[in-house]
Amino acid sequence: MKNLSPVASIVVPAYNAATTIRETLDSLIDQTFPDFEIIVVDDGSSDSTVAIVKGYADPRIRLISQANRGLAGAHNTGIAAARGAYIGFCDADDLWLPEKLELHIRHLQEKPDVGISFAGSSMIDRDGKPVGINQSPKLTNITAADVFCRNPIGNGSAAVIRSEALEGFGYRPAGETERDWWFDENFRQSDDIEGWLRFIVTQDWKIEGIPGHLTLYRIHIGGLSANVEKQFATWLAMRDKLARIAPNLIARHGDRAAAYQLRYLARRCVSMRQGRTALGFALRSLKASRRPFIEEPVKSTVTLAAATFIALAGDGIYSQIETRLLGAGNA
Amino acid sequence: MTIYHLVDDAGFGGVNRMLDHLTRALARTTGKHEIIRIKRGQLSPPRLTNASHIVSHLSVCWKNMPLMTALRARYAETPLIHVEHSYSERFVTARVENRDRFETLLAAAYALFDRIVAVSAQQGNWLGRKFVGSGRLAVIEPCVELDDFHAVPDRIAGSRTVIGAIGRFDTQKGFDILIEGLRKSARQDIEVHFYGKGDEEKRLRKLAGGDPRIVFQGYAESPATAMASCDVIAMPSRYEPYGLVALEAMAAGRPVIASGADGLAGHIANGAVGVGDNTPDGWARALNELDINDFRRGAVSPRKQAKEAEQSFADRWLRLLGDLREQPHPFQMAA
Repeated sequence: MKNLSPVASIVVPAYNAATTIRETLDSLIDQTFPDFEIIVVDDGSSDSTVAIVKGYADPRIRLISQANRGLAGAHNTGIAAARGAYIGFCDADDLWLPEKLELHIRHLQEKPDVGISFAGSSMIDRDGKPVGINQSPKLTNITAADVFCRNPIGNGSAAVIRSEALEGFGYRPAGETERDWWFDENFRQSDDIEGWLRFIVTQDWKIEGIPGHLTLYRIHIGGLSANVEKQFATWLAMRDKLARIAPNLIARHGDRAAAYQLRYLARRCVSMRQGRTALGFALRSLKASRRPFIEEPVKSTVTLAAATFIALAGDGIYSQIETRLLGAGNA
Repeated sequence: MTIYHLVDDAGFGGVNRMLDHLTRALARTTGKHEIIRIKRGQLSPPRLTNASHIVSHLSVCWKNMPLMTALRARYAETPLIHVEHSYSERFVTARVENRDRFETLLAAAYALFDRIVAVSAQQGNWLGRKFVGSGRLAVIEPCVELDDFHAVPDRIAGSRTVIGAIGRFDTQKGFDILIEGLRKSARQDIEVHFYGKGDEEKRLRKLAGGDPRIVFQGYAESPATAMASCDVIAMPSRYEPYGLVALEAMAAGRPVIASGADGLAGHIANGAVGVGDNTPDGWARALNELDINDFRRGAVSPRKQAKEAEQSFADRWLRLLGDLREQPHPFQMAA
């Protein structure tokens, strides 16, 4: 029985995830589609992550430990070890609703030209309580420009990939001796969007979503990267790389994508109550391209208004009205 | 009986050289071959008397659809073959704006033919997945006259390693990636020599920025002569349904470093070296590690492999033409 390959593999990259990984694994074990393996990739954790995973008796859980290679490196190790025809990803602090795997497998079986199936997410806080914000991305007719500007896949726990579609996606960079790369391990941020974008600009497989908010995505206000400027620099390096692979896409949509990225960073600064920085990013977004204001006027205006408000008035009053403002759109 | 080959007037050199070779290789074993030039957008099919097979090397585009449709109608009982020289998975992702419209076009065009010939296993996988059932799909890697390449003497490694890049200066070929990669590499003992011409030349020269390691040799009348003065051939292509240069390099006994785009993945499986990460950083890393002495002759020499490719090219075409002659045509069966 153990020799048979499971239909699906779920890759769980875990780095010092002791406080959350139990909840994550429980949500995966509870999937209504039962024929899967869970591959936990311990990416050099120094806490009790490994002990917790080893405490599970479920034979479907496999644990791989490696010296820290970053999220992309953990994803790659998991993909290399996966035996399923479908490979899902769930970060060690997020949760899957019970029917998530079943719905994605059905989607991929019904649509043979779809390579990546994804769905929307609901945000939860540190205690797993819903914060009332959903990611409800565009689901169909997704173009490379959509992925570039809006990343409909949204977070690292939303996608299920058909393993057949990984064939043209992976590569073996010079100097790598152990296994292929699918995600670029040179990127410690923007590694997911780099991967999805390269997937769609080099392969004739569709990326398509299914309705529902099937992932519970945990937001850590305190855990947000403090250095937002560095995050933007990494994103620009990612854009630079893709400009060599798909010059037309970046020539046509580079500024627009930058505007969306800057707006996203402005919103992160708003949630960190860094008013001045937020306003700076919001204005740079506007300068890069006006497309976000044309395409998503409410969200863009709210972002600019919130950034301006905190920059001028401070975060005291703002905090009281934040939920209503941010609740109006997607995260 | 005559086998007719239809060629677009926009057809590029590779197709014509392959046809020369095909007609010569098959001259003794099949009927007469005749090459017919078609004007793109021409509406009426040419008169093809006494045709045993009609082989389209045309580019599939909306402009050619009336002609292809008329061809099917007029020669309903003659086996109709289409060789897909142009399109591949990476072509689509690199060049096609409206994929739905493009897929409609290809599905409609391919439905007119009895067989679709893929020029690489990789292209065949893509065609099979998207458009053509395996019963109507054949894979025949193209081949050209390789004698000139076989005649190229082995190269004695010198103090400098010359990497050759041969082909049209077009974004397809990814020569910009190679230039940027070399400029990121500190290796002073490596030169890249470009042989070709095209729209991208100005941009490529600008990227080269006068770096003395980058040499533009102009268009090579004889690619074999060009290869003779290179140690290694680089193919950083963004898309490449087959990648004829890789076969020529093998015949010339020159190692190939290539991206994994489309048919190049097949050449890598046959002994070419994959660069892996086909970006400036990826090439810089590959060049930094490059040691010409690493390219040892394996059990099968590349030259011998190229010889085998020539033979299997002729064999597969013979088999395909034979299969289609014997099978009663579906339109005949219906009649």
